[in-house]
Amino acid sequence: MGLGLLTSRTLKSSRILHSQYSRFRPIVTKPKLQSPDASSAAAAAPQPETTPSPPKKPVGGARIHFTNPDDVIEVFVDGFPVKIPKGMTVLQACEIAGVDIPRFCYHSRLSIAGNCRMCLVEVEKSPKPVASCAMPALPGMKIKTDTPLAKKAREGVMEFLLMNHPLDCPICDQGGECDLQDQSMAFGSDRGRFTEMKRSVVDKNLGPLVKTVMTRCIQCTRCVRFATEVAGVQDLGMLGRGSGEEIGTYVEKLMTSELSGNVIDICPVGALTSKPFAFKARNWELKGTETIDVTDAVGSNIRIDSRGPEVMRILPRLNEDINEEWISDKTRFCYDGLKRQRLNDPMIRGADGRFKAVSWRDALAVVAEVALHVKPEEIVGIAGQLSDAESMMALKDLLNRMGSNNVWCEGTGTNPSADLRYRYLMNSSIAGLEKADVFLLVGTQPRYEAAMINARIRKTVRASNAKVGYIGPPADFNYDYQHLGVGPKTLLEIAEGRHSFCSAILNAKNPAIIVGSGLFEREDKDAIFYAAETIAKNGNVIRPDWNGFNVLLLSAAQAAALDLGLVPESSSSIESAKFLYIMGADDVNLDKVPADAFVVYQGHHGDRSVYRANVILPSAAYSEKEGTYENTEGRTQQTLPAVPTVGDARDDWKIIRALSEVSRICLPYDTLLSLRSRMRTVAPNLLHVDEIEPATFGPSLSIDCTQEINLTPFKAAVENFYMTNSVTRASKIMAQCSAMLLKE
Amino acid sequence: MAFTLRSVKVPPNSASLEEAKSRVFDFFRQACRSIPTIMDIYNLDDVVTKSELRSSISSQIRKNSHVTNPKVIDLLLFKGMEELNNIVEHAKQRHHIIGQYVLGRQGLAQDLDTKDEGTSDFLKNFYKSNYF
Repeated sequence: MGLGLLTSRTLKSSRILHSQYSRFRPIVTKPKLQSPDASSAAAAAPQPETTPSPPKKPVGGARIHFTNPDDVIEVFVDGFPVKIPKGMTVLQACEIAGVDIPRFCYHSRLSIAGNCRMCLVEVEKSPKPVASCAMPALPGMKIKTDTPLAKKAREGVMEFLLMNHPLDCPICDQGGECDLQDQSMAFGSDRGRFTEMKRSVVDKNLGPLVKTVMTRCIQCTRCVRFATEVAGVQDLGMLGRGSGEEIGTYVEKLMTSELSGNVIDICPVGALTSKPFAFKARNWELKGTETIDVTDAVGSNIRIDSRGPEVMRILPRLNEDINEEWISDKTRFCYDGLKRQRLNDPMIRGADGRFKAVSWRDALAVVAEVALHVKPEEIVGIAGQLSDAESMMALKDLLNRMGSNNVWCEGTGTNPSADLRYRYLMNSSIAGLEKADVFLLVGTQPRYEAAMINARIRKTVRASNAKVGYIGPPADFNYDYQHLGVGPKTLLEIAEGRHSFCSAILNAKNPAIIVGSGLFEREDKDAIFYAAETIAKNGNVIRPDWNGFNVLLLSAAQAAALDLGLVPESSSSIESAKFLYIMGADDVNLDKVPADAFVVYQGHHGDRSVYRANVILPSAAYSEKEGTYENTEGRTQQTLPAVPTVGDARDDWKIIRALSEVSRICLPYDTLLSLRSRMRTVAPNLLHVDEIEPATFGPSLSIDCTQEINLTPFKAAVENFYMTNSVTRASKIMAQCSAMLLKE
Repeated sequence: MAFTLRSVKVPPNSASLEEAKSRVFDFFRQACRSIPTIMDIYNLDDVVTKSELRSSISSQIRKNSHVTNPKVIDLLLFKGMEELNNIVEHAKQRHHIIGQYVLGRQGLAQDLDTKDEGTSDFLKNFYKSNYF
């Protein structure tokens, strides 16, 4: 027997042994594995000094600012030195070192609970692995994230979590984007030792938005912390102990928060999922489009997930300056309104009062024919609260060329002033509100008018105990506030220095006044603004380094409309109108329109104004078009089309451009780009996407107001948070919300 | 069933424009010769005449009259041959032939009125669809 044959034989036999061993690998654990020191020693022994891989970049491209150079400490993560500010946790230090630690309960915007134990890492000279999310990093700490001890700890935690977690991933809506699923693939064991029954938990009813499957819950308490800390409602809590521990509302109660949808996003498992989205689609078959929200004036950054021509769900997108990573329930769940009540064909009202679908050619011919036979001063145009800047520009150009200057945007009042930008913008910016230490809310209820800004105010109140004074009808805010009064009387008292709140403003470092744009509708709005500016002047609210004079707008179109100068020539033009062009304006009062006036409605939903319309021109909704919007702080953002338009609808600006040609006053732009360059000549800031253009002039330019102030109390600008525009009024989910959540 | 044209091989590249041109004429003759068969198998006698089909073929060829590159002509010829082959093999149906060669590209909904004359491309596109 040659030597070669012998070798091959031994090799063969050893191979057989190996395969047998792998087939019958025992499930039982060995005492050697149970002692961490021994197992780590065993694992460390064969590979003594591997050359460490080059340092990684911080997770998510995070950057750190060192406010004080003395507070910098150095720790070692997997052998690499990292400089971090004092007070950071071990987990944050690892993130800056580019090591992503698995976690369930830890969330950077919530308080630390430290109860899931998934983030265990090994720290040198520590007897046990430490929960990195709760352990502050100390100078010179040597953190090891990839040792056998840490791996084994994670594996053990995963095994315990999966002990009571149902294996229903194929029918779970979280499947595919589930933290537990991902981390059990990455860090879990390939087998379990669990043979008993799994526990089951009764599902809770949290209202029409959040579906609960409480058996899937792993008790990370993220939702509890979100509800108490960010949303400011004390509805959710932890009941029971040990394996009987449950998340719930204790008594049968719905979650009455306008931010409740965010618990769906922060739930790491499928315990809290979206009720309207339940079993509608799997997340990997959806196409995401990064766009912005237009249901309020905040301009929250969202991602529209669509499948084919249908919007399936709306998720938030991270933007620290606007919405952080939350969105309001109206933003998230209004999407089913995009499928209902849609206008899909041009229509003309016949002699019998019924609408008849016609071709675009006929509809435009009829409109142009009427428009040419009306006196220029009797032509009126109203832009709606969802209109994009491009179409408002086109509408203004069209009406100006017809000889009329009566064009405005609904919600800006009968006599808006577009001359001074600071008078309609949130001058301290949304993120800047965090610097304020005293808030004075004048006739505004941010909780219902702009839920994300309210979350920002709440964050400030929680973080720095900022004082909030409120003038307006009684309201329920989710932070402590002082109800100063109900109307202009209190405002005048503060302006004249006769009120006790004056001292709070005077003593504040960064006082912020927020005036609601619901006051635009009042006859005495100039006097009210004058009073608010007097408070600002007396309280030193506007300084070179801090501008705390803010106006909170109500709808997405208002800021751009005022920037583009959509200001009516006469405040009573609607009474004498013979030709009324409504571009999606549904909240404007049409009772005063003369009976013989010809009303054209261009919009995407069959809402209030359609009842008065003579011709309907169907247009695209915000999920279907590319359009520029300016939010309440003066930040320009753009929507992107996620789904195709419905039926025979067209983009808003295209309809106006086509109508202008049919009525033989052709507007000089054929493309969106050339329309935007026209917009540049009017308001160049509308082309600087994602930038804030601050107001140039302060109140030094405003003249003294001689108007008499009317002492009638302020009214709430938003009656029903869930239904404020044509999309949300068409939504079934929003109707359920208003029926169930607002009655309490 | 006429499978006579099936044996068509990919011919070698045309060396010059003249050669390509003569091939085009050959192709045209071949197509014209198959017109009676096509009329027969697709039952086209009551909708079109032979001369109309002939002029339809020639207009298809004339559509590419600006092409001078012999390689491109060869490729277009190959595509034309494919098409002819498919038609003669009865791989198409009657409405394909009527749609493509009897009614032309615009189809039945031909807008022959003069309403849109003098309007811009924008308006013409606007009437067609939202996406342009």
